[in-house]
Amino acid sequence: MHKIKLGIIGMGRMGITHFSIINSHPEVEIIAVADTSKMTLDLLKKYVSGIQVYKDYKELIENAKPDAIIVCTPPNLHYEVCKLAYEKSIHVFAEKPFTADVQQAEDLMKLFESKGLVNQVGYVNRFNDVFVTVKKYVESGLIGVIIRFKSEMFSCTVSKKEETESWRSFRENGGGAVYEIAAHAIDLVDFIIGPPDDIVGTSMNQIYSKHVEDIVSSTFIYKNGCSGTLYVNWCDTSYRKPSNKLELFGSKGKILADQHGIKIFMNEDDLSETKYKKGWNTVYITDIFTPVPFYVRGNEFTRQLYHFANTILGQEKGNICTFKDGFYAQNIMHQLFIDAQKNAIIE
Amino acid sequence: MEKIDKIVFGDNQFFGINHMSQEKAQQLSEKFFQTENIYKVYDIAFKNGIEAVMLNSNDRAKEICEHFRSNKSKYSHLAWYPSIPYPHKYANMVNEKGIFPAINDVLFSNNSALGVLGMVAKGGMAVLGKDAIELMKMLVDIEVKIYKGLDIKVIFLQNIIVDLMLGYDIKEVFYEYCTYIRKKYNALPGLITQNMPYLKSKLEEWGIEEVVICSSINKIGYLMSPDIQSYLDAIKNNDPNKYQLMAMSTLASGAIRATDAYDFINSLNLQSVVFGASSEKNIKETVSLIKLGEQNL
Repeated sequence: MHKIKLGIIGMGRMGITHFSIINSHPEVEIIAVADTSKMTLDLLKKYVSGIQVYKDYKELIENAKPDAIIVCTPPNLHYEVCKLAYEKSIHVFAEKPFTADVQQAEDLMKLFESKGLVNQVGYVNRFNDVFVTVKKYVESGLIGVIIRFKSEMFSCTVSKKEETESWRSFRENGGGAVYEIAAHAIDLVDFIIGPPDDIVGTSMNQIYSKHVEDIVSSTFIYKNGCSGTLYVNWCDTSYRKPSNKLELFGSKGKILADQHGIKIFMNEDDLSETKYKKGWNTVYITDIFTPVPFYVRGNEFTRQLYHFANTILGQEKGNICTFKDGFYAQNIMHQLFIDAQKNAIIE
Repeated sequence: MEKIDKIVFGDNQFFGINHMSQEKAQQLSEKFFQTENIYKVYDIAFKNGIEAVMLNSNDRAKEICEHFRSNKSKYSHLAWYPSIPYPHKYANMVNEKGIFPAINDVLFSNNSALGVLGMVAKGGMAVLGKDAIELMKMLVDIEVKIYKGLDIKVIFLQNIIVDLMLGYDIKEVFYEYCTYIRKKYNALPGLITQNMPYLKSKLEEWGIEEVVICSSINKIGYLMSPDIQSYLDAIKNNDPNKYQLMAMSTLASGAIRATDAYDFINSLNLQSVVFGASSEKNIKETVSLIKLGEQNL
């Protein structure tokens, strides 16, 4: 097979990062980018030899004929970009949140599955060494049946009143703490526990944002008796960078995890291969990391894009974070908005 | 190429950065909320023979630089190794506004002293947008401004920028950065990276020499892409007249015992180590353990 001819649509912060990472893959050739900013396109054209630049993604797809695209537009545009890619049989990696509308997410999932195209959503924690290890432990029954959990995420993304409005200022476009930050905490629940059967007690607050929520909390209910809480705040200036925290209480022990490592409390000695002792055990990121071929901002970012490319090449299964997973997270976020509305915290 | 200091005192411990534990980072950040406590640790480091400081241009660096400037007679022997920029400052601005409006803000709103008039005459962002090199030089000037009056030996570009640009494979950006740092600041250009073997091979390919390369180097291969063996090969074959290599993350955030860590480091063809510590015991121990071989520079 020839090198994968790749296009990147949307050269904002994530598009710029993804370009750098995937450009290091020996079997990928970035042939074109699309963005609405003329300045961005001028710079790329001037400094990146051989790159085609487009103001309109449709022209990129028509003229450059990529095998695959990475979509980093505002989320409300993902649907039309992905739909056109589907029609042209192009593999797609879409940034999170998958869409800004649950029906569109479901449609895209069905379309891409029907054609057998590679489809992936950018829930990057699924490639993080810590959370991959937690999932492995939960599935192996290390702490027994999960009875309660907490999934939290904090960042200092918004720390003052907005001066100017952008796509991020409106929920319809995919802006707000739920779509931009909580999406990760929600997907982690999905990844490790599975999607909930009911969502109750959701509340959202605005602190600085005019139109979108800054804080969300909620309770996830499962038919088997498990339940858990979600608390996400993107105005928390005590955090230097975005941090996920996950706490799982099971019938045989407890797991506390964040990007730095895992603390495991065992009710009894574990007799399986982990050999964890009764009481507290600590797993540091340095115990479980796996290096990547090229590092830009965390192993997980490289691993997720290499997974996409390697799946197209037939070297990986492409089952770690599909459009289906994107749809599940979208559905939960949709339920959160409905429940919050019902509780009338945000009009 | 001027020889760099064998031991450089880093700053992560002061600013709530610990890759291993959020809790530990929080404790330290509380302790060093009082800048006086930072100066105390620096004085301990200097008392133990350290004469070089790496300091990131974060929002507290200005105050720290001011302290050392106003006490210059007391600290006249110090060599400074600034690392620029402070990435999180830009990350949040870019999130909120987009890349160019954020740069625009940095260039035009917060730095009247930089000569906004001159920039307006040049045509402001509209022109700069077409010339990434000119833009880069202006951003460098803004970041380096706070170190003015200190004895700057190396100006490092942070890994988030270096590795991002490395992925784009653009020679010009690296060439122009290195040239600018040498000419304008009479300092050595430094590049921090998590992809040292690849960066070094690209610099060789591009003919860019006399550069200091700082990267994670530890015996468990933590934050060393693509793998530890590639690092060992690159280090072994390195000519220190062309590239001086500096090791950071030598303890892999505490995963390796200091004695083991520096046995490994001392066995390699390295020119310098940057480390951070906040207790006299750890500073003393680390200084005594670092024994880099004499290189013919």
